[in-house]
Formats: sequence, C-alpha cells, structure tokens
Amino acid sequence: MADKAKILVVEDEEILLAALKEELLTGGYEVDGAMDGLQGLEKVKSFKPDLVLLDLLMPKMDGMEMLQKLKGDSETRDVPVVILTNLSDYERISEALSLGAMDYLVKANYKLEDLLDKVRMVLARKQ
Amino acid sequence: MDLTAFDTSPQDVYWAATIFSGLVLIIFWFEYRRTRGKLFVRENQMKRRMYELSILRELGERIGYSLNVQKIIDIIRGSLGKLLPYSIVAYMLPNEDGRLIFNVALAEPVSKSFVAEVKTRMLKSFSALFDEVYSADDIDESISGVVTDPANPAKVESLFNVPIVINNRPAGIFTVAATKPDMYKTSEEVEILYTIMNQASEAVSKLETVLEVEKGKLNAMVASMADGVLMVDNQNRLIVVNPQTLAMLGITVPEPTIFDVLDTLSEHFDLRTKIEESRRKDKLIVEQEIEIDEHFLQILISPVKDRKGLMLGSVVLFHDITHDKELEKMREDFTSMMVHELRSPLTGIRSIASLLTTDKVKNEEKKYKEFVELISNNSNSMLELVNDLLDVSKLESGKFEIFKRPGDLRHTIEQRIKSLNALAQENKITLQYKVLPEMPQTLQFDENKIGQVLNNLLSNAIKFSLPGGEVMVAAFFCKKSQDLPQQAANFGLPWQGLKAGAVCAIDAVVVSVSDSGVGIPAREIGKLFNKFQQLSTAMKSEKKGTGLGLVIVKGVVEAHGGQVGVFSEEGKGTTFYFTIPV
Repeated sequence: MADKAKILVVEDEEILLAALKEELLTGGYEVDGAMDGLQGLEKVKSFKPDLVLLDLLMPKMDGMEMLQKLKGDSETRDVPVVILTNLSDYERISEALSLGAMDYLVKANYKLEDLLDKVRMVLARKQ
Repeated sequence: MDLTAFDTSPQDVYWAATIFSGLVLIIFWFEYRRTRGKLFVRENQMKRRMYELSILRELGERIGYSLNVQKIIDIIRGSLGKLLPYSIVAYMLPNEDGRLIFNVALAEPVSKSFVAEVKTRMLKSFSALFDEVYSADDIDESISGVVTDPANPAKVESLFNVPIVINNRPAGIFTVAATKPDMYKTSEEVEILYTIMNQASEAVSKLETVLEVEKGKLNAMVASMADGVLMVDNQNRLIVVNPQTLAMLGITVPEPTIFDVLDTLSEHFDLRTKIEESRRKDKLIVEQEIEIDEHFLQILISPVKDRKGLMLGSVVLFHDITHDKELEKMREDFTSMMVHELRSPLTGIRSIASLLTTDKVKNEEKKYKEFVELISNNSNSMLELVNDLLDVSKLESGKFEIFKRPGDLRHTIEQRIKSLNALAQENKITLQYKVLPEMPQTLQFDENKIGQVLNNLLSNAIKFSLPGGEVMVAAFFCKKSQDLPQQAANFGLPWQGLKAGAVCAIDAVVVSVSDSGVGIPAREIGKLFNKFQQLSTAMKSEKKGTGLGLVIVKGVVEAHGGQVGVFSEEGKGTTFYFTIPV
C-alpha cells in the first residue's frame, strides 16, 4: 500500500476511542476520532476517511442518524461504514446493515486481531 | 194511656205489667235483631278479611322474588274468583318490545264481541293512563278459561278498571267485567280490588326498591372500578358496561350495545366467539395484550353462574396493562443502559491496559501518561456508578440507613462548597453561599449522607451552568405552613420559575442550590427523580454522569423526613431545594 488508509473512529466513550485509535495506529493506519455524530459528519468531510468505525449510541447525533446522513449524501455515500456495537443490539445491527453499513464489530471483548482483520477485509472489499 | 190516672187495682197492675213486659220484649227483640245484624256483617267482614289475607299470603309466597309483573298479576287473577264474581277478568301490560299484552280469562262463556268490547274499553283507559295512543294493532292477545260462546247475547253490563301501579309508575291495568248490571258498585267490591292490587304493587315496589338499591351499589362499584367491566346475558345482550370500558375502547355513542364493543374489538379478535366459548367450556379465557389506541389491554372473559350453577351470562374484564408494560420496558432499558455504561469503559480500560504493555506506547512518555490517566478516570467514574447503583438499590429495598446526630449544617455546606470550588473554577462558575437569619445552630442529620446530597446538587448545578454563571447555596428556616417560594422571595434568593403552592409541611431548615443554567423543560421535571428515566436521559446528554444523583438525593432527604423540590425556568436557571425537619 503506497498510501496509508485513513480510518475515522466515531465513539463517545473517551477511553474506548483512545484504545481503538491507538490500536489502528499500531496496525499501520492513519486515524482520527470523533465523539458524536455531528463531529463525525464534519470529520468525514474534512478527513476523508477510507473507512468509518461508527458507534450507535451517542449524544447529540446518534450513529444511526449519522449513517443515514452519510448514505444520503452523494459525496460520502461510498465511504464504507463498520458499526461498533454491543452484543444485545441485533435489531439495531440489522437496521444499520439495511441502511448501508458494511459490517459490524461487537465492542465487548473484541480482540485486536478481530479489529484489524475486519478493517482489512472491508478495505479490501472496497477496492 | 195514662197509667198513673188509674186507681191501682190488681187487674190494672196485671195489665200494666203485661203491656210493659210486651214493650220490653219488643224492645229486646229489636235490639236482638240489630245486634244479630251487626254480628252478621262483622262475620262477613271477617270472612272477607280472611280471604284477603289468605290470598295475600299466597301472593306473597308465590310472588317470591319475582319482579315479573305479569306473573304476579296472573297469580292475583287466579285467586280473585274467591272474592268477587265476574264474567271475565283481564289485564293489559306493556311488554319489552313496546307491544301490549292483553290477557283475558273467561269465567263464563261470553261471546267474542263481549271480550272485544272489554278490550276496547281497556285500551282506552290504558292509553289514558300511559298518556300515549295505542291501537288494537299493538296488542298481543291471549284468552284462557271457558270457551267463548258466539250465541251468548250478553253484553258488558258491569266493568271495573284498576290501574296497576309499581313504585308510583303505572305498569298496566287490571279489569273485571260481568254480564250482570250494577256490579262493582259497592264500596266493598271496589275495596277488595284496590286492596289486592295495592298490596301486590306494594310488594313489588318494595322488592324493586331493594333490588334498585342493590343494583345501585353494584353499579357504583362497577363504575368506580379502574378496570373496564361489562356483563352480557345468555343471549349476549349487554346488561352492564362501565365508563372505563367505553373509555378504553374509545366508544363514544350515548347508548352503546354489545355490537359497538364487538366492532371495536373485531380487528383484534372475535369477542362473541370467546364469550360463547367461555360459557360452553365453563372456563376463564384470557386475551393477552390487545393493543387499542396505543394502549395494551388484557381481556378476561368469564362465565357467570347463579348459586345453583345456572348459567346467567358472561362478564368481560378489561385490564389496562400499558403502564405495566412501560415499567417493564423501562426496567429493560435501565439494565441495558447500565450494562452499556459499565461495559464500554471497561472494554476501553482493558484495551488501553493491553496497549500499555507494548513497547511503542511504553517509549512515548506523553501517551503513556495520558493512557494511565484515562484508566484512572474511567475506573473512578465506574466506581461512582457502581456506588450510586448500590445506594439506589438500598433505597429501593428500604435498606438505606442514615445515622442522625446533632451537627451544624452550615459547617457541612461550607465543607462541600470548599471541596467543589476547584470544579467550579474549572468551569468558570462562581459559588455563593448565604445563611439567613433564624437558622438553628444544631440539627439532627446524617452528616455524610447530607454531604452526599449537597455534593450531587452542587456538581449538577456546576455542570449545567454556562461559563461565567453563578451557583447560589442558601439555607434558611421555614415555619410550618409557611409559603416556601414566598420565603425565598423575601430573602431575595435567585429562584427561577417560582410557582406558588409549595408549603413547608413542618418546621424545617431549607437548603437550596440555585444555578443560572439552561433550565429544565416543565415536561422533564417529573422524570428527574425516576431512576429508570434518569439514566437513559443521562446517556443521551452530553454531560457525563449517571443521572442517579437526584434519585439518591430524594432518597436521603426522605429518609430524614424531609422533602425535595425543584423550580426551573428554561434559559434562566434551576433551583433544587430540600428540607430537614427541625
């Protein structure tokens, strides 16, 4: 890979955001973070990520709304989104997938390898 | 004859005695006759009275608890022959369908035209009595007794109508008619008819009153029930329906029938089939969660039987379980929120901790420090949440204990203000403190727990104030039944959104924390002290916190016998206050 792929993490839990960012950095990606949907949307435009990791439950604008906005905008429609979620959210997961999210990652107990695998896969599929 | 004019001779005396005896005899004879006549009349009266009594007793027994007027009139008619001579006896009553029952019994073989004339005359009286015009077409006729004789030329020579009155309402007429003239003219005959009719109607009226009272009680009970109740008879006709049922089903027609109920429910299930099924199988049927107008109803259908096990109809109970479902949902939400609140930071801590072991992070001092701080902060806030949850659960189970000791509340307030000054400065908020006169020196309270209350209220006030804002803590004495907002206004306290009506229930110290923040919308105020709603609101808020602080505040204050309250105006600020009884 000539250029480092850019990943945006949108997650309101500060420590989780820090962990994910660091892990993705370690995985060799260029990373930025946002703590709510509004900030996330701005960052998608300014940072132009190749992939968005998106939490669903967030203040100001939740993940589902942000996903809808992303998919409704021709400029950002094609950015692949992976949902960050909790185990019990199957209903939301399927809703998010139907809205155009590519995959999901269960936050509780995720392993570093799972995260990097998933990111690699989605980026490969995009190309 | 002047006896005294005679000289008294034995012969004269004889004659005089003879005449005198004769006179006495005559007088006695007359007297005897008179007495005999009286006795005879009395005997007759007694006889009649006995008849009446026996008939009334028979009536009483046979009427029993029947409210069926026709049945009662039939009984009267059956016994009347013993008291009065008549050719025919008849009655006319309205039936349920608005038609007239004309029932006639023949004691003599009169002609059909005789009966027809009686009918016509009764119809006239009946129309007058009911103040309504009835025609012969409205009549359902039934004739019993001896067979009519077309050849009998006898006409109606005597006829007497007695109105049947139940509870001061006309219920029908009762008529005797005869082929002989001049009957039913003496007061005795008329009296018999009236007495019997009166007694019968009195019995029915009394029974009806008793039943009305019982029915009234039952109706009042059914009407005051929180659940909807309706009853139908064996033909599925609506007997009772309470207003709650109609409200729950959204039925607004003035006199609803069972069809209105069936129609409303038809898209969910067939109530009629269920009612019939429950009667057939003689068992309770429960329909779970029928959704009508955003309400969830549980519907129970049960057969109703009398003491002897005879099926009388069915009762249907509508129980609104919307609130139960909401509570259940809130409980579920609460649990998942709590899990989320704990799991997310925990996952973060684990990941960060594992990153700290990598050489890359180890060698970056700044990042290393930042990560250690993150772990520390997050474990602190998690611990706070766990503590809050424990407190709330103790409050709920009644295991929350306070230890009241005499202490100086002012000291406690000062301490808390001091400890939160740093946070206030960080947020560019000024903390003010005002103790007003008449504040007692010492007070019985749990210093730690009230400290926690102040801590929660103060940190909330700081959190929700805008930079440059001011938070004012005040403490003052409030006498029993003194108006609290008035007191606050008198002291010049910056309480926003003051509403009249809050009164000190007992002599108490009032502590208030007022901010100049964003305020709380009126519709949200009710949710402030509810744990289920607080946590989910807190989750959506951009401010950190569990939202359980106020739930704990309320619990602690109430454990002290005090009360909590809030005044707020959007855009201006909020005041929370609590009282501690003196």
